[in-house]
Amino acid sequence: MSNQNRLFKLFNDRKGNEKYFMPFFVAGDPSIDKFKEIVKNIEPYADIIEIGIPFSDPIADGPTIQEGNVRAFSSGINTKKALDAIKELRKFTEKPFIILTYYNILIQGAKTIEDSINITFKNLKESGIDGMVIGDLPIEEADLVLDACEKYDLALIFLVAPSTTEERLERILTKARGFIYLISVMGITGARETVAQVTKDNISRIKKKTNKNLPVFVGFGISKPEHAKTIIKAGADGIIIGSAIVDIIKNNLDNFSKMKEKLVEFHSKIKNSIK
Amino acid sequence: MDYIGKFPNKLGRFGDFGGIFAPEILMPALDELNKAYKKYINDTSFQEEFYNILKHYSGRPTPLYYTSRFSEYIGCRVYLKREDLNHGGAHKINNVMGQALLAKKMGKKKLIAETGAGQHGFATAIAGAYFGMETKVFMGEVDVKRQAYNVYRMQLLGAEVIPVKSGSRTLKDAINEGLRYWIAHVHDTHYLMGSVVGPHPYPMLVREFQRVIGKEIKQQIFELEDKLPNAIIACIGGGSNAIGAFYDFVNDEEVQLIGVEAAGEGKETDKHSIALGLGRRGVLHGAMQYLLQNEYGNILETHSISAGLDYPGVGPEHCYLNEINRLIVGDATDKETLDAFKKLSELEGIIPALESSHAIAYLIKNKDEFKKDDIVVINLSGSGSKDLSIVSEHIKFKIEPKDIL
Repeated sequence: MSNQNRLFKLFNDRKGNEKYFMPFFVAGDPSIDKFKEIVKNIEPYADIIEIGIPFSDPIADGPTIQEGNVRAFSSGINTKKALDAIKELRKFTEKPFIILTYYNILIQGAKTIEDSINITFKNLKESGIDGMVIGDLPIEEADLVLDACEKYDLALIFLVAPSTTEERLERILTKARGFIYLISVMGITGARETVAQVTKDNISRIKKKTNKNLPVFVGFGISKPEHAKTIIKAGADGIIIGSAIVDIIKNNLDNFSKMKEKLVEFHSKIKNSIK
Repeated sequence: MDYIGKFPNKLGRFGDFGGIFAPEILMPALDELNKAYKKYINDTSFQEEFYNILKHYSGRPTPLYYTSRFSEYIGCRVYLKREDLNHGGAHKINNVMGQALLAKKMGKKKLIAETGAGQHGFATAIAGAYFGMETKVFMGEVDVKRQAYNVYRMQLLGAEVIPVKSGSRTLKDAINEGLRYWIAHVHDTHYLMGSVVGPHPYPMLVREFQRVIGKEIKQQIFELEDKLPNAIIACIGGGSNAIGAFYDFVNDEEVQLIGVEAAGEGKETDKHSIALGLGRRGVLHGAMQYLLQNEYGNILETHSISAGLDYPGVGPEHCYLNEINRLIVGDATDKETLDAFKKLSELEGIIPALESSHAIAYLIKNKDEFKKDDIVVINLSGSGSKDLSIVSEHIKFKIEPKDIL
């Protein structure tokens, strides 16, 4: 990552022990226009914005985000339209954008995988994206993507799970850029009631092996300000919330102003809880 | 040709195909499975136990049967590898007993599996009962409805059938949901993959457990004909019965290996499952393979009259064999398949599974390609008794009262 990458800048300019909040949205949920408007509304409370590029078969996602994908597809989303929307949002904010997707979405557009990745990553960069999380790309398969990230100044953010062995962790840490996305529990995405002990244990495990250049963000299952607080207290640098936000969208589909209101209220509460 | 034993490489690649495109959370479990497989696959006591199960429980070796009337109809020497005579009525048993035995050795307590038509789910339920392992089978809601008989059979064996309501509510969604469940329960649960698909080591593991089909064919055809066959024909959905029948013949280049995909309502329509013939390279369910997908990489809905072939991808090793021109890829429509189903039933008194009927349909369509003395082996991967409710919607008979008297 160069010093022009917005993620790099964010962490480089970190004030003291500042903590971060990264909300997640599915591009095109509940519609492309509403998605853009939602992101603009919550932008003041987010430090990084994570945007899902929908895939038809998202194996690491729970029912909430799957349904978000389905709504987005029904609204006519595809990768091109998602990137166009992100490009427009880029005009309104300088906060880092991260995309979350699956590998097959990124290897389209040309005859060979190499050429396809090259075309796609150029588009990602031009759309104002700073990094990515790829749900089904472990370190073993990441070489082509790592090269393209280097070329286009994007961060490949690796997931680390409670099941990740020390040996794998070492290997991941040598290649990881941006931050570490720590999966809080053994499971798929989805809001949960409590913060498990395993989450706290894993935060300390990973924090011991990382330095200030590689903050640790925790995601999966966080749905309340109390969770966010607990996780930050356990030593995490940032929290990621997806399903709880997508749930707010789902529960207010019939009233868009109420949806926005609820989303802003939720984002503001979370942001305050980690200050 | 020197192929056997060379693939996959240690990253699970067959050329560019295969690999391990799995969520990080599953990687340690896949690694554990790979290590256990390597430990046991050449272990004599494991092999002996597996062999004994296949022999005494499933009834192997299955016959290689020379068809006299069907051969006469086709115009060459046609043999059927009778995988339909296995316990459970299909080749699926070879793989499930192998994997469940391995899971048991690994200390896993529970089995989960996906199923389309219910054949693999039924086979897994058999393995669960045999080994005393709690079994959950994920099945698309659409398939649960159209395969009520198989659902009942699984339940009777003590398995829990979980209807999947996401996506197209068919096989691929059952795999998605099975993987999601596995992610959360990986410590005590083995995901029993039903075909040569999925992330490494599954395509290799399933192939090794299905290889027994081809090994037996080779031995039997030498006993019966004292030479290699000219061709082996098998249907391909994910491709486990095909790789099982083909693998031990890959080095023997004079043997044509013909894989038959489901052309559904026709290859010119969008209602088919021709992944090898018409798909484009992509990644689904952990492996690089040919896929039916749109320009953005989202997976298309597929169609086949046989649920077992109704899958948008195909095993990575088949993709590679196709790329190196070792595999001949054909297809058969629903209609051709139904005709073949009826023809074999009438001529031989054997009701083939709709999946296997695709292989038969291919031979019927291409019978002029074979000479009188040519030997063709069709892998009859399963019995058609599971398909009667579907077939009876298409093939109808009348009973006239006066005929009975």
